[in-house]
Amino acid sequence: MSILTITGKDLLLFVKDRGRLFMAFLLPLVFILAFGYAYGSLAAGEARVVELPVVNLDAGGALAQALLDGLIPERGVGVKPYEEAKAQDLLLKGDIQHVLTIPAGFTQAVQSGQQPVLKLVNHPEANEEDTAALVSVIDGVAKDLSLQTQLIAAFRQMGQMQSADSKGAQTFSSDIVIKQAQSQFERAKMAPLVSVEQQVPAAILLHRAEAPNAMEIAVPGFAVLFLFMSAGTAALSIYSEKKLSTFRRLLSAPLHKAELLPGKMLPNVIAVLLQIVVIFAVGAWVMPLLGMDRIALGNLPALVVVSIVVALCSASLGVLIAALARTEGQISGFGSAVLWVAGAVAGAFIPQFLLGNLLGTIGKVTPHYWAISAYNDVIVRGQDLAGISTQLGVLALFTVAFFAIGVWRFRFDA
Amino acid sequence: MTEPILIAQDLHKFYGDNHAVDGVSLTVARGEVFGLLGPNGAGKTTTISMLTGLFPPSNGTITVDGLDLAKNTTAAKAKMGLVPQDLALYPTLSARQNLTFWGRIYGLKGKQLSARVDEVLTMVGLTEKADKAIDTYSGGMKRRINIGAGLLHKPDILFLDEPTVGVDPQSRNAIFDYVEELNRAGMTVIYTTHYMEEAERLCHRVAIVDLGKVIALDTPTALIRSLGGGVILIGLGEGQAETVAQHVAHLPAVKAATPSDGQLKVEANRVQEALMGVLDATNRLDAHITSLEILEPNLESVFLYLTGKKLRQ
Repeated sequence: MSILTITGKDLLLFVKDRGRLFMAFLLPLVFILAFGYAYGSLAAGEARVVELPVVNLDAGGALAQALLDGLIPERGVGVKPYEEAKAQDLLLKGDIQHVLTIPAGFTQAVQSGQQPVLKLVNHPEANEEDTAALVSVIDGVAKDLSLQTQLIAAFRQMGQMQSADSKGAQTFSSDIVIKQAQSQFERAKMAPLVSVEQQVPAAILLHRAEAPNAMEIAVPGFAVLFLFMSAGTAALSIYSEKKLSTFRRLLSAPLHKAELLPGKMLPNVIAVLLQIVVIFAVGAWVMPLLGMDRIALGNLPALVVVSIVVALCSASLGVLIAALARTEGQISGFGSAVLWVAGAVAGAFIPQFLLGNLLGTIGKVTPHYWAISAYNDVIVRGQDLAGISTQLGVLALFTVAFFAIGVWRFRFDA
Repeated sequence: MTEPILIAQDLHKFYGDNHAVDGVSLTVARGEVFGLLGPNGAGKTTTISMLTGLFPPSNGTITVDGLDLAKNTTAAKAKMGLVPQDLALYPTLSARQNLTFWGRIYGLKGKQLSARVDEVLTMVGLTEKADKAIDTYSGGMKRRINIGAGLLHKPDILFLDEPTVGVDPQSRNAIFDYVEELNRAGMTVIYTTHYMEEAERLCHRVAIVDLGKVIALDTPTALIRSLGGGVILIGLGEGQAETVAQHVAHLPAVKAATPSDGQLKVEANRVQEALMGVLDATNRLDAHITSLEILEPNLESVFLYLTGKKLRQ
């Protein structure tokens, strides 16, 4: 009963505090809108260059060189040549994520009408989006090369026939040439001379079709960033209670200490859940009206459960901050520095698939990372509860740890 | 003494090496206004915090109306109301919202709660401003609501911790009136202050606290009477305090004369007559007077007499 009374009072204080309302609801939407536009080009696959280590076993081959000439930064690929053994070694160590191998005799094989295979080997932990982008570009360049080779061969053959025929001008009319070109074009599409074989788990290719749109990058990232910023607000609420002496009066009231901290946590849980509802609702139904992408809400039960776990984790973090901080400045500092940085390394500003190995690893020590990852899996990949069980488990561990340490270190008599 | 409602025995509180409360023992009678008088930092608020169950003492026991506070914490706390020294109110909420919240915390609900909130608003004279946010109130009005919040559940014992700090004279008098009115209605009040005139006016008994210890405990009248007609403190040249003390100790107006560290402390039955005798003796002995202070008989003088320092130092 006392928990609900404290919760009701704190929610009333929350509603009356315009600064907190701005911070909780408006600011995240401003960030989402601004970064959503910025992510637009990223989500469309422009502008980024993915490094592609290449082992060319057909050195000196004209078509191998033609293939490499097609893999250019303007198409999002930056070729870097390697020796075969070195490339394999680096790939095994995880220092490089992909290796494209052009087989020996590639040029001759293509010219003789055989179908050589380009081999793209991906590290098991290679960035899925990068892999998909590379496959797409290599495949496109290989098909162009096929078409070019087949067309040249056809026209060369026609030219030879024309030279051999004294009535050449009548042998190949423009209609015949066009029909031949169309035939070669269709053949190149259906049966390319060069194909790309990928050694990569099928799931990676599957995810290619599930790449997030700009809003699906922006909404989970900034939602999580600001949901955890609420932890600082919750800590400030506890600190203010102490500063105002209302905490002394609460401690002198006939209620258990065990009711006090949950009473201070529950309003934050409710406020965070309201934030989630508003932010995701705006992402799903309002942003499209502004010309932005629409986010899918994915599996609703999974979305609800991950939201509740995130809200509990944020509230527990608030208790921990309140327990450890000695001054209002420390709480504000923690809120504005640590939580922003944690959000940044966890992929709130930069999508997780662009974080790289180092930041991606560092990010995993923050609850933000797992929350964003869970939301991504639910709304981008349509995962259900079982599919996000790892993220939920880690978030639950963070929640328990934050709360336990917070209660242990909380100074009721300070 | 009538039936005790609060008994504290040998309370201690340690904060690391700091011995904030050092063996405080008190017995407060039902219906009494009991004062804790002492300078800032004497340990009054820490003592009150332990008595109201904010935190447990490091050592010692507290009994509230027969209930051991350590064992029956919730029931014992329900019998007490605390008005903290600082304003314990939510500034952005109205007086009514604040009182309603605190009433609920103390278990009031429904019509009983709203009726009690109205009663308290009437008592503190803020019915008309009840729906305005607290941060629009004057300092005195805030103090009155702060007290009202401690009264909602009609506690048997009300703790008022320095309730008049920063209050204008009009609001201070209003607070005195509330305390007297509540006490007439049978409420026990424990009142901490460093203003001796408040303790003299309101308190039936006063415990003088310094450095975490109770150094005197009695009625204000008895404490003042302990000074007799007053005390004369005379600073004298080296070795002269003992000689002058021997010459004035037998005078009829002198109750006692005690030399200490170059100073002569003379407790007088009749202060003017004693002073004349002391000055006459110093003239005759050719003693060199370095300072002279006459303590009128009041609680401030009692504190100065007992500790050698002023209440508001």
